[in-house]
This record gives sequence, C-alpha cells and structure tokens, in this order.
Amino acid sequence: MKVLSEERTRILFEKLTKYIGVNVKLLIDRPDGTYCFREKKDRVYYISEKLLHLAQTVKPDNLIAAGTCFGKFTKTNKFRLHITALTYIAPYAPFKIWVKPSAEQQFLYGHHIIKSGLGRITENTPKHQGVVVQTMSDIPIGFGVAARTTAECRSADPLATIVFHQADIGEYIRSEDTLT
Amino acid sequence: MGRKAKFDETKKVKKGPGRKARKQPDPVFKKELLEDDTETKKLTHRQKQRAAKRAKKKADLIEKKKSLKLAKKNVAKQNEKVISEEIADASDEENVKGFTDDNKQWLKPKQKAKPKKQESESEEADSGHEESEMEQDSDAADEEEEEGVKTDGEKYKVGTLDDLFQDSDQENGDVTSEDEGQASAKMDYNSDSSEEKSDDDDEEDKDDDDMLPIEKANIKLKKKQKLEKKLADEEMQLNIAKQDVFAFPSEEELENPTSLQDVHQRIKDVVTVLSDFNRLKEEGRSRCEYTDLLLKDLCTYYSYNEFLMEVLMQIFPVQELVEFLEASEIARPVTIRTNSLKTRRRDLAQALINRGVNLDPVGKWSKVGLVVYSSTVPIGATPEYLAGHYILQGASSFLPVMALAPQENERILDMCAAPGGKASHIAAIMKNTGALFANDANKERTKAVVGNFHRLGVVNAVVCNYDGRQFPDVIKGFDRVLLDAPCTGTGVIAKDPSVKTTKDQKDIQRCFNLQRQLLLAAIDCCNAKSSTGGYIVYSTCSILPEENEWVVNYALKRRNVKLVPTGLDFGTEGFVKYRQHRFHPSLKLTRRFYPHTHNMDGFFVAKLKKFSNVIPEPFKDEDDEEEAEKKETTETAQNGESESENVTTDSKQDIKNTSVKRSIESTNPTTEPQKKKNKPDIQKRPETTANNENQQIKKNKKKRNRKNKNKQNSDTAGSKQNTSQNGAAKNEQTSQKTTKVNKKDKKGNEDSPKPQQPAKQSPGKKPNKVNKNPPTTQNPTQNKNEGKITNKVEIEASKKLKNKFNKKKKQIGQIKGDKDKGNPKQGVNKKFKKK
Amino acid sequence: MEIVNEILDREQKKAEKYKPIIVDKHLEVEFDIGTLLAYDSNDLDTKLLNSNTDEYLQSLARDNTQLLLNKVWELPTERIEEAIVVRLPPPTTVLPRAKPVPKPRPLTKWEEFAKAKGINKKKKDKLQWDEQLQKWVPLFGFKKAAAEKEKNWLIEVPQNVDPMTDMYEKKASEKSEKVAKNELQRLKNIARARKVKIPRVGLPVTSDKASANQLATAATVAKASTASLGKFQDKLPKEKEARGKGVHELIPGKERKRKAPIPTPQAEKEHNLNVLDNILNKRPKIDMDKAVARHINTEQIQ
Repeated sequence: MKVLSEERTRILFEKLTKYIGVNVKLLIDRPDGTYCFREKKDRVYYISEKLLHLAQTVKPDNLIAAGTCFGKFTKTNKFRLHITALTYIAPYAPFKIWVKPSAEQQFLYGHHIIKSGLGRITENTPKHQGVVVQTMSDIPIGFGVAARTTAECRSADPLATIVFHQADIGEYIRSEDTLT
Repeated sequence: MGRKAKFDETKKVKKGPGRKARKQPDPVFKKELLEDDTETKKLTHRQKQRAAKRAKKKADLIEKKKSLKLAKKNVAKQNEKVISEEIADASDEENVKGFTDDNKQWLKPKQKAKPKKQESESEEADSGHEESEMEQDSDAADEEEEEGVKTDGEKYKVGTLDDLFQDSDQENGDVTSEDEGQASAKMDYNSDSSEEKSDDDDEEDKDDDDMLPIEKANIKLKKKQKLEKKLADEEMQLNIAKQDVFAFPSEEELENPTSLQDVHQRIKDVVTVLSDFNRLKEEGRSRCEYTDLLLKDLCTYYSYNEFLMEVLMQIFPVQELVEFLEASEIARPVTIRTNSLKTRRRDLAQALINRGVNLDPVGKWSKVGLVVYSSTVPIGATPEYLAGHYILQGASSFLPVMALAPQENERILDMCAAPGGKASHIAAIMKNTGALFANDANKERTKAVVGNFHRLGVVNAVVCNYDGRQFPDVIKGFDRVLLDAPCTGTGVIAKDPSVKTTKDQKDIQRCFNLQRQLLLAAIDCCNAKSSTGGYIVYSTCSILPEENEWVVNYALKRRNVKLVPTGLDFGTEGFVKYRQHRFHPSLKLTRRFYPHTHNMDGFFVAKLKKFSNVIPEPFKDEDDEEEAEKKETTETAQNGESESENVTTDSKQDIKNTSVKRSIESTNPTTEPQKKKNKPDIQKRPETTANNENQQIKKNKKKRNRKNKNKQNSDTAGSKQNTSQNGAAKNEQTSQKTTKVNKKDKKGNEDSPKPQQPAKQSPGKKPNKVNKNPPTTQNPTQNKNEGKITNKVEIEASKKLKNKFNKKKKQIGQIKGDKDKGNPKQGVNKKFKKK
Repeated sequence: MEIVNEILDREQKKAEKYKPIIVDKHLEVEFDIGTLLAYDSNDLDTKLLNSNTDEYLQSLARDNTQLLLNKVWELPTERIEEAIVVRLPPPTTVLPRAKPVPKPRPLTKWEEFAKAKGINKKKKDKLQWDEQLQKWVPLFGFKKAAAEKEKNWLIEVPQNVDPMTDMYEKKASEKSEKVAKNELQRLKNIARARKVKIPRVGLPVTSDKASANQLATAATVAKASTASLGKFQDKLPKEKEARGKGVHELIPGKERKRKAPIPTPQAEKEHNLNVLDNILNKRPKIDMDKAVARHINTEQIQ
C-alpha cells in the first residue's frame, strides 16, 4: 500500500470532483476518524487509518484488498473510477439521474441511457457532468457522464443519449475478476 | 531469393526438375536467432483482455439463454397453475404450502406428508364410507412405504410394521389371536392420529373459510382422486411383491439386479426387517448379512461408493439413514440473506415481491434470512442483488455467524472466507465498525470475496490470501475467529453429488488433518484476553464426526479452550461417542444440522472459548497417529507472560518423557507398538531422584487444591469428581507410581489428569479422562500465584486433600486395582506370543 | 594292393586337408540365419588362448562358421542359373537404430490453416486443355511458358491504366514478385519450424515514422541533455514528461528516487486538502456552449 504521488493525487481528486464536487472534502475530512487513499498495484483504496495499520501487517503479496477500491490508474496515467466507489459517490453526488424500470436492465448491461429511459434528472445538470444513476426507487445503480444539459434533454428526441455509461453495478457480475 | 539463387558461391545448386527442398537445403540461421523452445510465448495484455472478453461473451450468452429458458419455464408454470389447478403437481403444491413464517414448519417440511394422509383418512370417515378390509390393508402398506420419510417416533413405525405383518397373515387366511392385538394397536394409532387430525382440521377449516364452495368441492374431488390412485398403486405393488416376509435374495439374484425398483423395494424390506430383527429375520441369517445387503443396495440405488455409505451407516441408524439419503437427493430451498448494511428485510421482501419473486422469511431464528420458492426473474441478477441488498446464501451458512455473535468494534477473522457470504454477514452485524480480516488460501476465490464485499458495501474489511495455517505468524490477537473449514462436503451432497463417489478414507484423512491444523491456527489467532470475545467458531458443511467432533476434541486437548453453547436453539447435539472414539462430554454443546431434519444443508457448528493464551506443551497421542511428526513449537504464546515461563521450567525436566507417556495413555484401543513403548517407560519412572519426587508431590497437591477451588470454572461437577477420584486411586498405588503421576501432573499444563490413568484403557474409560481437561488446563494461570501461597496454607491444604482422597479411595481403587493387575500381564503375554 | 593303398592314402591326405563338417560344442550355438549370425556362448579355453591366440581364434571361428553353414544347408535350396541359392528367413534379431526416429516435418502455415479449416488438397491435372490454342498445356514448365508466350503475343492495355505502361514488363515483375513472396514464405516456414526469431523486416525507425511515445522520450532526453540537466529549460504548456518502461533510465541526471517517507495522517490530510483546494479554485473555464446558448436565448426573448 503506497501513498499516492502528488500527481496521482491530483488526477484522482480531479476525477472525483467531477462526480461529487466539493464533497470530496467530506471524504478526506471525516469526523469519525482519519481516512486516506492508498495505492496498490495501480488501484486506489479508500481506507481508514486504523484499518490501514492492521492491513500493513499483511505482506503486500498476500494482500488482496483493504477498505474500498475507488478505481485504478490506467497505463496512460488516467484514473478510472470503478463501480466499487459507488458506495461513497452515490450519497454525495449533487447531480443525479433516475431511470425508468424498463431502462434499468439496459443500463445494467453497460449501455448508455437514452431519452426514452429517462425518468428524472436533477435541474441544471451541465454538460459532461458526472452523474449518479438511480432507479426510480432511489437505488443507485451506477454512474455516468451527462451527454446533455437538463434543458437540452427536454427537447431531445427519444433515442438520443442522455448519459454516457461509465460504470454500473452489473459489472459486479460481468467483470468480477477485473474489478479490483 | 529466387529459385536458384546462389547465396554462397562455394555451394552448387542443382539444376533440373525436382522439388526445391531437395535441391536446396534449408538456410543456416545464426545461433542468437534461435529461440529457446522451452519458453512459451506469453499473451500480451491486450490479447489476454481480448481472450477474457471472448470467454465472458460466451458465458454471458449461455447464461442468457439459460435465464431465458428459466423465465419461459416459470411463465409456463404459472400459466399452468392459473389455467388448470387440477393438473398442478401435488408435490409442488405441498412445497408452497409447506413453507410459512413458522419456523418449525419450515424446518420440517417432510412431516407434511403425514397430516395430509390423515386428512384423507378423516375424509373417508366423514363420508361415512365403510372401507373394506382390503383398503385398510393398502393404507397400512402405504404408510409402511412412506415411513422412510417420516421422522416420527419409533412406536408409530413399529405399529405400521405390525400392520403389514398381520395383513399378510390375514391374506393367508390365518386369523390368529395376534390379529386382535394388532387391531388394538391400530386403534391406538388411530386415536393418536385423530388428535393431530383435529388440529389439522382446524387449520384446514380456516383455509376453507376463505374458499368458494366450488373450490372446496374441487379440492375434495382431487383428494379423492389422489386417494384412489394411491390405492390402485398399492394394489399393484401388493400384487407384484406378495411376499409375506422378506426373503433373503439368493446369490444369483444379487448378481443380476433386475431393476432399480426392485432394489428400492428390497431396501425397504431390509429396513423393516432390521427394525424388528428378531421377529422378521430369516432363519440362519445374521444381522451382518442383512446390513451388508442393505449397504450394497443403498450404494446401487443412491449411487454412493461403498466407503462413504459405510461411514454414513455408522453415523445414522438405518431408518434415519434412508431419510438422510432421500433428503440428500433433493436440493434445499434457495435462501437469501438481507444485507442489513443497505436495507431492511421488509423493504427487500417488498421489492422482490414486486419483481415477481415468491418468498417468505426463513424462520424465527433469523432476522435477515428469506426463502425463495419461485421467481420469474433470475434471483442472482436483480438490480437489488447487484445493488447489494441481499446475497444468495444457504440457510446453514447463517448459523456459524450467529454462533460467533460478533460485536461492534471488534477485530474478527474469517479464516476461510471465500466467497465472502459469512464474512459479509459478520461485517453487517458489526455495522461496518471494527476490523474484519477475510482470508482465503485460494487467490482466485478471493476475487469473489472482494467483489461481494464491495457489492454489499463492506468497508471495514481486509482481504488477504494466506494459507490459514500460517495466519498466526501474520497477525494475532483477534477478538473472534470464524473457521469454516474446507471439508469433504458430505452435508451438501444435494449441491454436489460428486461427493457420493469421489470421497474415500484418504480424502477424509487429508481433510481432517488440515482442519485440525487450521483450528489450532485459528485458536492461536484468537486473543483470550479480549474483553468482549475470545471466541472461536468452528464449522463445516460435513456431517462426518471425523471432521467435526474429532477435530474439536483434538483442539480441546491441545489448546486452552473450552466449548461453550453455540447460542443456536435448534439442531441436534454433537456426538460424544462415535465408533471407537470417546469425545469430551462437553461436545454435547456443539450443534449438528441435517438435511432431513432441519431442511438445510448438513452442517456442524462448535463454539469455543479461549481462556488462556498459553500454548500447552505439544504431546503425542492417538490423534497424532495420522499426522506427520510435525509438532507445534514448545514455545508459549506470544504474550510472553511470566507464568508461561514458570510452566516451561517446571516441565522441562519431564519434557523428554512426555511424548512417550501421552502416547501410552492414548485412548484408542492401544495399538501394538504403543504397548511396547509402555514398558520401558514404566521402568524409567522410578529412576527419578527422590529429591525431585518430594518437590513434585508438594506441587501436585497444591495444584489439586487449587483445582478444587476452581470448581465453578470447570464445566461439570462430574469432571471434578473424576479428578479427585483418580487422585485417590493414585495414592493407593505404589510409591513408584505416585512419583510418576506427580511428574505428569506437573508437566501437563493442559491435561495433567490424563496421565493418572493406567497405561492401557478400555475405550469406555475415555470420557473420564477427557472430562478432566478443562479444569486442569487452568494450571498455568494458577502458577502465577504460587509464590504468594505461604507454607502454612500449603500444608493445611495438603492435609485436607489427603482426607478427601481417603474417603474416595475405595470406590475407584477397586476398579483401578483390577486394571493394574490386568494390564501389564496382558502386555507381557502379548509380547511373548509375538516372539 | 599298392594301388589301393595309394589311393586310400591320397584320399586320406585329401580328407586331412579339409576339416570335418561336424563340430562338437559343449553348449548349443545360437543362430539367426536371417542375418547370418551365430552366437557362441561357450567359454573360451584360456590356456590355449594365451599360448597361441591366433590359431585358437581361427579354429574357433572356423568351427562356428561351419556350424552356421550347416544350418544354412538345412534350408531348402534352389537352383538358379547353375548357382545354388538359399532363401534366408526373416531375421529375428532386432538391430538397434543408430539415429533417432525422424520427427515429422512441422506443418507450414498454410498446412496448419488448411488443417484447421478442413481444406483438402485437390490434385490438379498436370495438363490442361487450352481453348485458345486448342492443345494440352502443362501447368508449369517450359512448355507452359512457351504456350503463354504464344498466347500473349499481344496484351491489351486496360482503360484505367496508363497507356504507356509496358504490359509485358508488368507481367514479368508480377511473376517475379510472386516467386519472391513464395520464397519468403518458404523461409518463414522454415524459421517457424526451427523457432528462429526473425528480425523484423523493414526500415529502422526514423523521425517521421516514430511513435508518439518514442518522440516524447526523445524530446525528454534531449531536453535533459544540457549541462544543467535541463533544469533551466522552458516548458511548453501541457507538456508531459515521457514515462513508461525503461524511459527513466534514458533521461540523464535522473536517479532512482528514494521512497518518500510515509506522511503522518494529519500531514497527509492537510496535503490532500491543499491539492483539492487547488483543483477546486481553478479559474472557471469559459463555457462557450453555455455562453452561446444564453446569447441565443436572450436574443429570442428580445
């Protein structure tokens, strides 16, 4: 478990701010103990200091995961958020989108969300804003990037893409091996 | 290039027709160009990705197809149900009806069969039909046939057997006085049933109130039809097998089995014979022959290998065995566990019902379990599942975690965690506080753990990949440890039928050796001084005592642990004796679960409490036979308490002898080599110096004194008595012997009383010995106080003790005396004989 | 009588000259007539062997040869052209191989492919009927070449081709290319069979063909190749240092960095918050889309 380098920390936070904005501060500055980001095999884990101390007793080779995996750095040094980060992203995300039950399955198979599947969307969502996707019963099922602003959505045709798919909880089944 | 190109002037290239390869030899390559052909080319990262993708696509496609098929089937089923209820399978209906919120009913769905029949009977009575003699006969036969499934008392079964017996008599036209007796028996049975019947009727009535008259009529009609069908079947069977008493098949018959039905029939017959052997046996046949026949038939009918079947026969009585085998053929209902980190059971149930899932709470004993009867959607791929609101988990898997009873802010270890069901359950109970270590030896399977943890929102976990046996070297001091050990899986035959044929003695041996080591490692990982915990839960999905009670018993002897109640209010008690083994009586506190009685996978749960971090001296006894000479280090626990030092110094003198001695005391019917060892040992003992002896005697007394004080701590009063009794016996023995015993006493932190027993013991003696374990194990802690005790107190205590012993001397002395006489002689005799 | 004695003497002398055809052996000699092999398992007479080796060995050889020939004579004989001939039976002794059994030739790439696809080779007729020439023309060889020449006394230049092209030349070059390609493939097949690393065919990387990675590396290296190890070199906006495997070692002045000490949780938190503040406080980008949309909106309202 390495400490993230300065550059990587920046890249990580830039990505996170796309989804949860200033709320990233809440992740770093928590009242219930200190939490930190650590890197292992290019994967970034969000872990409490206490647990980290315990996890450090385990040899790096034998340590599989500790805390919550947020995502990984690609070979081109970009950060890619994994669906596993949803636990922390969903409650903090200012922009959300709700999909109709009929479109849930589509999204869970890794497709973009089209206008016809759109149930609700947060007002004033800007373009290319990271959004959390929820079912109509408020279960977060993934996140993506808004392809259109809220205003544009209204006038878009039914087949137009509203949200670009980034990650969905179907990946727990589809790509269990590569998740962490 | 070119056909006749001359790369080398010195070489002449042939002209004319012919194959090129003949005319021009292959080019010569530089050496450095030649590759090692041993190395296989690695796939590039991209290639791997692509391959994985391809494989996944394929799998997805198959899964999709499957789910589609399933969905279609389900839809079809529903349609069927709606359109024509009459066609609906009776058993199906039974299933759905059978599961209610009520715990008991869910746990024992098998019993449903009985009330139903009674219902039908009652109906007959209602309608005022005077059933003919013949019909009653068939009824009785019917019951006899179904008795394999029944779990009721013996009486009931015997009654039905009698029925059959007498019926056949009647058919022969002999009306004997027995007949009357039988009739009365029947009456009894009927009266019994009528009570139950009335209960059932009440329920029925309630149901009936809700139904329309047409429906009622329909149900009645159905029942009648069923009854008639059954009767017809019975008649057929009776005609086919009109044997009065089961005739033992001839050799030829055995060699050429005709059909599975015949075999099944034979199994039933043999079971009936065995249940009342004296009356029903064929002249000149021994019980052995019958059991052998049964074994063979069961093997063929249920396709087990003979070894496993033999083992199973030793675990269960015959009738229960058949029930178990039947139950092992049927899959258990799908159960899911609500993830209390993310949702509540009621909300989840509502959400799933909205998706077309038919479910019920698993029972009163669990607040998070749900049973799924049928579903129109794949239960493992709903958005709720993916969002981590529940996990697919067998009902039996809840038990070890419930037994573990984790508390918030504890540090807990799950030693064999994959795929993470139980571990996530622990995390859910801890509400994501504290720290959870989920370990698994298989790196591939840890991926599943990680996936499940993230899906279920477990954030306090560390997933690691160690061999569980090495875990104490990594980190210790856990408040609680869960060890769901890898096992042969004899409890989950329904899930994996390959167990039936693939397991043999070696597999089992391998399993329990591993389990023992794992359990010891688990105990070492646990911290006895934890304010909230110090508990270890050991569970397996096997029902073999070798992998369960024996393993726990082994750990009891080798570590400072004791069994505590599991906190599960159902399940059968663990075995205290099995074949030649006699386990510690506290093994009653463990729980066993069977598919046929509890309708969950076969399971075993034991909860241990660690009361000292000291690791006792390793020793060798019967349990070690299979093990390699590998031994735990004599070092004491990591905590390095002062008392541990005391212990080691105390015992150092005797360490040499310990291993040998223990082996002598082995509770097994001692094997020959052990007996040989025995002798020289006895000779050795007197050699110790007198000085030593005196000291030892003193210490011994002290210890015993303290032991008595600790009575409350020790688990049973009986065990205490035993120790003192043994002590008395010892006193009576010669001085030589006492010295020996004293030595042992001192040495044995863990189970000093053991050595007090004579060298050779009958297996029956074992419990006594084991009994004494827990109290004596506390010696090390007592040693701490040693210094404080003044000489006066010491002397007084010793006096008191002596008095006590004298009282009890007589009783046990006799027994002991006998043994002492007998044993050495035997040993000598045997030796002579051998020579 | 004298005459008789004389004759007898002569005969005796004659007989003495030849040794007897019957040989006594303590142990039977084993034969394999198929290979004309006799195996004598009797012990050697050491005394004789030491005293006069040659003679003894000679006599031994003769005796055994005699036995072998006796065996040969037992076989049925034939007379072929005045010579008496014996047909030897098949040999029973298995002679060991001097060399290992040859391995099957590894398949060529095409053969592998054909095998995987289940393509079977079709035997072509060696001769083909040529409609134009009204005669049988072989598939290859000088007669085929001659036939081609005869047929193609004139080649039309197609519409879409430069009219000045020499079609004969073109054809020849096509043919030679085909031959060359065939040869290359043959060599490649051999190389694959022998597991030879074939050097990459083609030109070395030049600046116009380099990949972005290579260029970036080159740029970074060049930049650092000053007396002060590139410390005072200006940076372009958005310029990134080359990174990747083996790049670090190429850059002058770069050494293996020591691992930074693990910061205390407090310090780490501060640092993280700082980084985050920097990110959040960036000057907001001018959102052109938004501006345009607003502009249009206001215009419409007006």
